[in-house]
Amino acid sequence: MNTSLPETSGAARRTLFIGGSILLTATGFALLLHSYSGQPIFWPDYIVIALFPLLFGQIAIGFLLALFGFCDWLRGGDPFHLMRRPWREREDSIPLAATAIVIPVFNEEVQRVGQGIENMWNSLKKTGQMEHFDFYFCSDSNDPDHWIEEECAWLHLCQKLDAFGKIFYRKRRHPINSKSGNVADFCRRWGKRYRYMILLDADSVMSGPTMVRLVRAMEANPEVGILQTQPAMVLGQSPFRRLLQFSNAVYGKIFSQGCSMAQMSSGSYWGHNAVIRIAPFIEHCDLPMLPVPNPSRRHVLSHDTVEAALMQRAGYEVWVAYDEPGTYEEGPPNMSDMLKRDRRWCAGNLQHFWFLFARGIEMGNRLQIWIGLMAYLCSPIWLTFLVAGSIGAYDRARFLAFSAGPEDLGAVQHSEAPFLFIMTMLLLFFPRLLGIASSLPGAKRFGGFFHLLLSSLVETAFSILIAPVLMLFHTFFVLQAIFGWQTKWTAQNRADTSLSILHCLKLYGWQSGLGITGQLLAWFYLGFNSYWLTPIFVAWTLAPLTAWMTSSRGLGEKLRSWSLFVIPEESQPPTELDGLIAPDDEETRPAAPLWPQALVSPYVQAVHLSMVRQRSSHRNGAKPSSSMANLRERLVRQGAAALERKEILRLLWHAETVFWLHEELWSRPDARLHSSWRSLQSDSWKNALLRHYLIAE
Amino acid sequence: MNTSSHIVAVDEQTAWNQAHDRLRDFLNAFALGDHAQISRLTLKLLDQARERHCQDPSLDPVSLAMAQAQKLAREWFASNLEMRDQPPAELLASGCVALLLSGAFRTAPKTFLTAPLPENLKESMRQTLLVTGPDLKISSMTPRHLDYGPMLDLARRTWHRWNSREIIIALLFWTVVYFVFYWWLSEAL
Repeated sequence: MNTSLPETSGAARRTLFIGGSILLTATGFALLLHSYSGQPIFWPDYIVIALFPLLFGQIAIGFLLALFGFCDWLRGGDPFHLMRRPWREREDSIPLAATAIVIPVFNEEVQRVGQGIENMWNSLKKTGQMEHFDFYFCSDSNDPDHWIEEECAWLHLCQKLDAFGKIFYRKRRHPINSKSGNVADFCRRWGKRYRYMILLDADSVMSGPTMVRLVRAMEANPEVGILQTQPAMVLGQSPFRRLLQFSNAVYGKIFSQGCSMAQMSSGSYWGHNAVIRIAPFIEHCDLPMLPVPNPSRRHVLSHDTVEAALMQRAGYEVWVAYDEPGTYEEGPPNMSDMLKRDRRWCAGNLQHFWFLFARGIEMGNRLQIWIGLMAYLCSPIWLTFLVAGSIGAYDRARFLAFSAGPEDLGAVQHSEAPFLFIMTMLLLFFPRLLGIASSLPGAKRFGGFFHLLLSSLVETAFSILIAPVLMLFHTFFVLQAIFGWQTKWTAQNRADTSLSILHCLKLYGWQSGLGITGQLLAWFYLGFNSYWLTPIFVAWTLAPLTAWMTSSRGLGEKLRSWSLFVIPEESQPPTELDGLIAPDDEETRPAAPLWPQALVSPYVQAVHLSMVRQRSSHRNGAKPSSSMANLRERLVRQGAAALERKEILRLLWHAETVFWLHEELWSRPDARLHSSWRSLQSDSWKNALLRHYLIAE
Repeated sequence: MNTSSHIVAVDEQTAWNQAHDRLRDFLNAFALGDHAQISRLTLKLLDQARERHCQDPSLDPVSLAMAQAQKLAREWFASNLEMRDQPPAELLASGCVALLLSGAFRTAPKTFLTAPLPENLKESMRQTLLVTGPDLKISSMTPRHLDYGPMLDLARRTWHRWNSREIIIALLFWTVVYFVFYWWLSEAL
């Protein structure tokens, strides 16, 4: 049976999708124009008319993707999909090839990353195919504590799993080009040793059987360059994370299924939980510099979409394996962390504008780039639309009150606006109904029928509350990216720790002010006609409360006990997720910094020296530079707290200095040593993290 | 006994106490299972330091005691690992990693810095080698040329030929377009 995609079928799907989007948008636009018929047009109305197709087009695209996905689900999956081709019948006989599991990290929770690697190792071991896989823990961490902890954790893992020569650790001295640079660094050094790499994020986990199956899929289909999986969001403790993972489980799948059906072999790549064919990746996918005048803004921030486009430009296919089990990731724990992530993504997606018109890029990729761009550009457009719509409504109200004749009043009564409103609501909320419908057969895994419906209802209310808040922030991010504004952002929150009310008031309080002022102005100028703006003003007013409550781990645990927002991975927890739930951060993080142990503890110092010296260019006995000598002396005399992060990193990279300091700190009399060193020395062997990693029984 | 000699004696006593505490903490940092061994070693090293101090009283007791401990550690690692020609830094690093990974600090604490390790532990220490990455197989990964198309041409022209005259013409043009559009829509609808 030949189930490879006939040309006509792919073209028919794309025609149906693009044509459907245009048709829906045109219908909405026609309704909008009709709603103005017979009425005076004011200048803000032209803005509304101009922006409407852009916004409505996005809603139409979302609706169609969900509809495609639902239809695909109804017929039991796409028979032309890569993962349903005949190779599956002889799957077990397909030999595997050398594969690297690459985990780039940047100041991540080390114990969580280590536990993830351990779980994947154990899962792979059970498949009996371990000899084909190696793990690479590729660090770009610029926090000295994380660096030292990563080294200890790596040693601990290798020792515990007897994995020396199978789990490797790489720390880049100059972490240029962030994550894409880290992956490229791996490719340049060791890429030739492997045919595939499975790229993971620090919070990603994949099961052994899934990894084996993905590699076999690549082996059986040499035309495929990237095979992306749809990771399930898991391990949420806070309400925010639980809401995200529930929404991902209920609605996410049909959207992915729809995307895959429309895109076929020009699928998306999200930069993690994917298997990549290394040779073409090395040959074709190094990121080009952007053609902008400012050299500091030439690096592509969001690499995945561009890499997928380059892979396809080289003639390879990119597929999304949307229904593969055993692939997981974690969502942001609270609204502030999501905004922080969105800010990065927004800057990255806007850069993709350059690739929209680049020559040689496939149509499917251009469409993805467009959707990615609009994901953030929609916010300022929506905001402008709302402001212009409100001013237009005010002008119209004044006109009707003071200047309108009977024919004008009649035109208002026969307006098409209610139809347009109903259509918009349908396009917005119907995909949710489809998602719930597709989840109903497995309702038990979502806590039962009643809990699934109730959770969906609450999630919908939450999404209505959060969308206007995100709109304002995204508008700011877009402006920030375009004009290159620099702002200070609050530090990233680790794990599912609750946000403080003070933080929420500081970050979201201005939205409350805007919400209250906006509502008062709307009542004053528009009267009852402002009802359609009320949900937005309410969402802004409640923003600090929403952010605070959805970050509360206690509330998240209560929701779990009430069986709300339950996902299948909670009903039947996979072994790959054992031990991954981070305990409350404040209880577990050591109060004292860890990096001074690299100078005090003989074991930590030895591990660090062994790893640094393998790459150090400094010769033993070489005289340090005067600035390094000053740094050494300052550290000894003034304690570890006296040094800046950059100074600490410089010092830790210098093997000679690390050894010199170890000897000096132990040999100097108390009078010539900062008092903090003595307490570090006497407590070194009691340090909980070191005992866990290095000297655990 | 006069006051000054009393002060000297107290200072010296303090210095030797410091040396004792430092040695104890240093040995404790190896997390040996046998606390008595730590005490024995501390006293032994302290006595050796006192002997050297008698020969040269200008030397500081803490520095002397720690120099003795580090010398002893180097010699012990060198003999057990059979790595006599290694520079001190590498010898101590390799020794400590080997001690850690072989578990000898836990299984044979009595031998630490005093006696040769049992043959099986010696062997397991010698086999310990940290490999952080396999041998390199260097690839060249460089970006391929990408033609950014018409937007780049447009942007380049804008960047390189940006002047007020063009801005005014553009503004005038779009104002005219706007008013024509406004007039057309007002008439049409």
